[in-house]
Amino acid sequence: MEEKIISKQNLVKLCADIIGGGHILIAPGKTEYVVTQDASQIVLDTQSKPTKASYKTFVFPKAEPVLYYKRGKNDVQILDAGPEQKKTVIIGAKPCDTNSFNILSKVFNWDYKDDFYNYRVKNFIVIGMMCEFSDRYCFCTSVGSSPVSEKGSDIFLIPLDADNFAVRIVTDKGKEFIDAYSKYLTDGNPSKSKEVSEKVKHPEVAFDSKQVHDWLAKNFEHPKWDGVGDMCLSCAQCAFVCPVCHCFDIVDEDYSYTEGRRMKNWDGCQFGHFTLHASGHNPRDIQGKRYRQRVNHKFKYYVDKFGEILCTGCGRCSRGCAVSIDIKEIVANCKD
Amino acid sequence: MENIYKPYLAEIKEIIDETPDTKTFRLQLKDPEVAKTFNFKAGQFAEYGVFGEGESTFCIASSPTRPEMIECSFKVYGKVTQALRRLNEGDTIGFRGPYGNWFPLEEQKGKNVVFIAGGIGLAPVRCVIDNVLDWRKDYKDITIIYGARSIGDLVYKYKLKEWRDRPDVKTIITVDPGGESDGWDGEVGFVPTIVEKIAPKAENTIAVICGPPVMIKFTMPVLKKLGFSDENIFTTLENRMKCGLGKCGRCNVGGVYVCKDGPVFNYAQLKELPDEF
Repeated sequence: MEEKIISKQNLVKLCADIIGGGHILIAPGKTEYVVTQDASQIVLDTQSKPTKASYKTFVFPKAEPVLYYKRGKNDVQILDAGPEQKKTVIIGAKPCDTNSFNILSKVFNWDYKDDFYNYRVKNFIVIGMMCEFSDRYCFCTSVGSSPVSEKGSDIFLIPLDADNFAVRIVTDKGKEFIDAYSKYLTDGNPSKSKEVSEKVKHPEVAFDSKQVHDWLAKNFEHPKWDGVGDMCLSCAQCAFVCPVCHCFDIVDEDYSYTEGRRMKNWDGCQFGHFTLHASGHNPRDIQGKRYRQRVNHKFKYYVDKFGEILCTGCGRCSRGCAVSIDIKEIVANCKD
Repeated sequence: MENIYKPYLAEIKEIIDETPDTKTFRLQLKDPEVAKTFNFKAGQFAEYGVFGEGESTFCIASSPTRPEMIECSFKVYGKVTQALRRLNEGDTIGFRGPYGNWFPLEEQKGKNVVFIAGGIGLAPVRCVIDNVLDWRKDYKDITIIYGARSIGDLVYKYKLKEWRDRPDVKTIITVDPGGESDGWDGEVGFVPTIVEKIAPKAENTIAVICGPPVMIKFTMPVLKKLGFSDENIFTTLENRMKCGLGKCGRCNVGGVYVCKDGPVFNYAQLKELPDEF
């Protein structure tokens, strides 16, 4: 793996060049990842708290049209929709976010290929950054990641001192991208970056995901689920802030008497109407069943089907929960 | 870019009123190229859409051996089915499919087949019946047991007549007690009772069953008593779906996507699933 060094001033210039080149640049803002127009405003702080939501909305938007339609007297005309083909760069992504595309790509491609998602990912460059933030909700180390994990990053930044970052080039895509900006880079010093990354404090491992998986396999019916269900408000914020939750709805929206669009909108398995049949029958009719689905989907079903845990350990769902439901605590207690 | 959410357009060629709240559409795909190459297998489903209202999931009720028309039947319940009801012959709807797996008819050649259906549950079974009847010489005894709440609730009356008139098929039609009227020449009794009375032999036989949950619940023990093994009882699950492509996440039962891994399951597979359908 190749490694380079970039000074902070040069990193600002590099970011300005990305924006100037007509690409979309996303960086962590105060509370969310935001598209930025001013490179000098970007703050790359390894100790910053994770943003409220992940950046999945940039590849899997909250709401996006999948087609437009025009109704005639007996006829209908369908007009195609598709994602904008623009190179998008995210800089300063947390390791608990960077792995999300590897996980999401499985479900969006296991049989039918969702090109709305794929085309955006193809045009996406992920510049991850080491993380030195940790609070009681973090558990990346329990789901196979770590604050210095390069999984999912094309390029990975490690702050060497107050003025310089080590630039680890992780993928070919990352190399191809960074080569265009080589004038800002100098030769790296892998031993120095290694020393820095090894000193990073890791969140304590809260559970063994294999044991959780096996416990879930045996405890589909368990009083635990009713307990959580009684607390949960069914608001589904946990799904919306999650880097890898991917349930969606397909809804038609008319914007005139004859025209409209078909939308693919985020949805959440915690909503009561999510599985409600038109007949009134609901396979997951109470909240306990829906929370059980959430935990099972993340730590059992997805693992069985796609070989990945459907969770990055970012802790956002718990940090944002209005009634303090802590998934780390619940999963850690999935044991006899 | 391939858009997996984009439907074909289909013209409603004919509308059949099955019961006061159930209709059948006979559809033809509008693009002649697509229509020529379109094929599916018995048991698969599709997403039928009214532009401006949304999409709804129904099985393809016609047999793949009769490809001239795609048929679907639906009971008016929700937003999309109400919109479908308002449509007329000549109108255009969206059609996405075929999706999901199918009944393993090829593998079952040489066997007896028993079809058991209740109410609108005949729709997914009907395509299998027609398919098997078109391959009649490949199967042994064929028995059809179909029931509904009342005579008025029986769907596909024209089909029922066709099957009853065939000497090489044993067709039993029944209505729930109280659902009959003067001149009714079929059976009177609940489907499980009739199955017990007819007692199809289990040896070298597969059963295809679909209907309301309560019918399935009480018919299963009867089939077990008759000696049917779990592997030889097939059904099709109906869960709420949106994408039909194994993505949107709402049809999951345990680790299974009903839209991709189903909708057709045998009873042994169903027993492995958590009780969430």
